[in-house]
Amino acid sequence: MQVAEAFKHAFLKQMLLGFQASVVSPKSMGFQERKSAIKLSADVAMAVARGTRKWTRGLIAGLSKEHQNRSFLQLILGEQYERLMKPCHSSWKIPRCKKIVRRSLRVCCRRKKKKNQVGVLARTLVAKRTQELKILVPGGESMDGFSLLDETLDYVVSLRAQADLMQSLLTTIEASKLRSHSKGTLPERKASYVGN
Amino acid sequence: MSSRRARSRQSTSSSRITDEQINDLVSKLQAVLPEAHIRGAERVSAAKVLQETCNYIRSLHREVDDLSERLTELLATTEASSAQAAIIRSLLM
Repeated sequence: MQVAEAFKHAFLKQMLLGFQASVVSPKSMGFQERKSAIKLSADVAMAVARGTRKWTRGLIAGLSKEHQNRSFLQLILGEQYERLMKPCHSSWKIPRCKKIVRRSLRVCCRRKKKKNQVGVLARTLVAKRTQELKILVPGGESMDGFSLLDETLDYVVSLRAQADLMQSLLTTIEASKLRSHSKGTLPERKASYVGN
Repeated sequence: MSSRRARSRQSTSSSRITDEQINDLVSKLQAVLPEAHIRGAERVSAAKVLQETCNYIRSLHREVDDLSERLTELLATTEASSAQAAIIRSLLM
């Protein structure tokens, strides 16, 4: 599963805003502060690029809980900030499929549990991992069963794209640095296009 | 007791999410995990998929943290204008 081209573009655009905002801030920012700003930009970029999902809302909500993040968030999100911060108006719940969690919890209440020992273990493990997932996926605490799995899949794909895009940014910036350094010392090359 | 059973029976019949849909999601998750290349189409248990998913998410978080650090270091020694030019170039590619 891959993210759309539109995701990549939206991500890079939003990262650009984040970079600009990091530079505008006082140069006296320490390394950790600047790193936090970059990381914040990357997370915001990922959420904005993906659009409206439960996990993107959860992510933005989580990020803006930190007081020091808020002004930076408003700066790089602009008018999108208000929209993304609006509480989820849909109180309508997807018919909860508690099958996974419930099966695993309904452990010993049934007869013939000895026959089901292997099944019981598997179901308990699933319940345990489901709990872990709720912590790892932004906004996961309020998700359940099918919804949690669905959001997890989407989140994992987006995270992978985020990492890949950040890596390609690194590569591109490094390459452009090398080029601008070499220009001064070597005879100018003919349109060395950094393409594929 | 009977009310609990009645409730569970009720929610199962009114739930529009089928086992098939869940299995479909689990197999899609399996397909995005890094081990998918090695495993091919061999099905793995849901518990294992979830466990590996948790591990994968944690490792992706670490990867992004590391990349943030490297980007911060790089930007510290790069002209703002050329960093921006590089991003714009990426956008155009």
